[in-house]
Amino acid sequence: MQRTTHRSPLLARPVIVAMAAAVALTATSCAKSEDDASAGGKSPSAAADAGQKVASPKPGGKTCTIDAYGGEKLDLEGATVGFSQSEKEANPFRIAETQSIKDEAAKRGVKLLTANAQSQFSKQISDVQDLLAKGADLLVIAPLNSDGWDPVLQAAAAKKVPIVTIDRKINATACEDYVSFIASDFVEQGRRAADLMIEATGGKGEVAILLGAAGNNVTTERTKGFKDRVAEKAPGLKVVFEQTGDFAREKGQQVTEQLIQSKPGIKGIYAENDEMGLGAVAALKGAGKKAGDVEIVTVDGTRNAVQGIVDGWITGVVESNPRFGPLAFETLDAFTQGKEVAQDIIIEDGAYDASNAERDLGRAYH
Amino acid sequence: MAEAALRTAPPDRTRVLQWLQTYGVYAGVALLLVVNIAVTPYFLSAENFRTQAVQVAPVIIVAIGMALVIGTEGIDLSVGAVMALAASVTALYLGYGLLPALLVVAVFAAAIGLANGALVALVGVQPIVATLALMVGGRGLALVLLPQLEDLRNPGLASLGSGAVLGVPYLILVAGVLALLAAFVVRRTTFGRQLLAIGDSRPAAQLAGLPVRRVLIIVYVLCALLAAVAGVLATARLQASDPTSLGNLMELSAITAVVVGGTPLTGGRVNIAGTVAGAVLIQLLTATLIKHDLPPSWTQIAQAIVIVCAVYAARGRGKR
Repeated sequence: MQRTTHRSPLLARPVIVAMAAAVALTATSCAKSEDDASAGGKSPSAAADAGQKVASPKPGGKTCTIDAYGGEKLDLEGATVGFSQSEKEANPFRIAETQSIKDEAAKRGVKLLTANAQSQFSKQISDVQDLLAKGADLLVIAPLNSDGWDPVLQAAAAKKVPIVTIDRKINATACEDYVSFIASDFVEQGRRAADLMIEATGGKGEVAILLGAAGNNVTTERTKGFKDRVAEKAPGLKVVFEQTGDFAREKGQQVTEQLIQSKPGIKGIYAENDEMGLGAVAALKGAGKKAGDVEIVTVDGTRNAVQGIVDGWITGVVESNPRFGPLAFETLDAFTQGKEVAQDIIIEDGAYDASNAERDLGRAYH
Repeated sequence: MAEAALRTAPPDRTRVLQWLQTYGVYAGVALLLVVNIAVTPYFLSAENFRTQAVQVAPVIIVAIGMALVIGTEGIDLSVGAVMALAASVTALYLGYGLLPALLVVAVFAAAIGLANGALVALVGVQPIVATLALMVGGRGLALVLLPQLEDLRNPGLASLGSGAVLGVPYLILVAGVLALLAAFVVRRTTFGRQLLAIGDSRPAAQLAGLPVRRVLIIVYVLCALLAAVAGVLATARLQASDPTSLGNLMELSAITAVVVGGTPLTGGRVNIAGTVAGAVLIQLLTATLIKHDLPPSWTQIAQAIVIVCAVYAARGRGKR
């Protein structure tokens, strides 16, 4: 087959590469999106950084001190902090998370080294080793996986570098391999979404759940919290439909289209992230429903979803707070001064409904 | 070995297989329709059929392009990436208006198709490898151009996604017209004949003096353009450009539709009507399982069973 087609492989390849490069260049140089056309479409960036508060620790929670962990006290100001992000900053949550760390570092006058693993675990391991080699005194890690951290933890322990993990946990011993873990409580988010749904529907009728990606702890925990709370507080509310929308808007739209077709009497939809909720809104609009016909409750707190509340399509949004910066640095600061810090720190998530959506729109991340 | 098994098989079994291979996909669609009418509430409504048709339209459009490529004994894995690229380019250029944006999308898609075609026809790279490269690179480019989902408010695009003529949504019209065109091209034009001849035997086509390289390049460009049309339509329907997830696994859906529809992967034959029916079959299957709220993993298992059945039915015909 090749024999007959060989002509100029040496010529063709550079031509293709050059063509691709040229295309990429022109694409970005003369692009004009809708936002450019409508000047001033961007609102002033979230100046009101959602005040991040600690929801727990309870007084009895386990704590950690620098003496127990091993290491030396140091002054956070002037220290070097390494931050390893897990996924590329392509979704609102990751963008806001990295930004929050950067902002807080700048505010405190800390030298920050950052790395992004682009969703590849092997890259994250080498990222963290690089950060250590570049002289990070402290580490903040947003882990991609929970397991497989031994080589990094050993390297950090050898240098006595304290580690704080955010949003996902590392399977290791707290106060020995790492100092603290800061995250949202996903089960609690599910419970609060259930509260919003019960209030909106009066605790009666049939509701549907748009599940997140399968095999993800966020999905299982947000589902568990929602179902437990519904079973406990509103037995009249029945979950009659549970299908995955893979955390994506298009999938949420397609599944909701099937749902409203086969179950026209559905009263509410609980979407386990904002994107699927917005897909559900698109499906309802396409089916000629009006705002408020079906109560939609979502979790995350992105700007688009909160705007959806203002427009009347979404009933409520439970926030999953991505702004770990203040709390992470506060923890490191207290720890390096020799004070006690909690091993598990749960950050407080806000919530949006019709009463505060318009006022707090600037607080939502995007 | 397969030949030996066939020779010893009783003749009526071969005939059943042959029948299944040609009409099995239609029988499957009919069966699913009957089952659903019997057991699924609110299935028999115009609104429901409209929903299913609108959801399957992008898959049909991509699958038509895929069928043409498979007809040349090739394969195109980059269709999902081209959809994503179409989505991000649409968002980037919508500021100039809908038509200019669509033209730029066409230019981008044609460039990807050209690259695929050149790698296959001129450089002699295996289609699966050449298009794998563009599949990875295309989505990468889409994400570089537009790293994050962007909402689109263009009224023209919105009406393209949700508008209708005489009650028939644009998406269905576009898919229908493209399917008819493709069927016409394959059956009645010189280009279609050349395409099938190349799929049958490329060296023979070469020796017969057919413009093999030109036809191959055109086929890959057509496939990319069709994928771009599907990407724009899906974006219009969502009213948002989402290059991170749009078109994910679309290449597999399209290949499934083509294979289930009775087009052999060995090339030389293209069954457009079967491809459309194959896409509809998978759509109905998914819809049935979703409507009855069965676990999503079941959908994947059911799809796998359909594919195995289709390949089993096609087994005898591979030997010509």
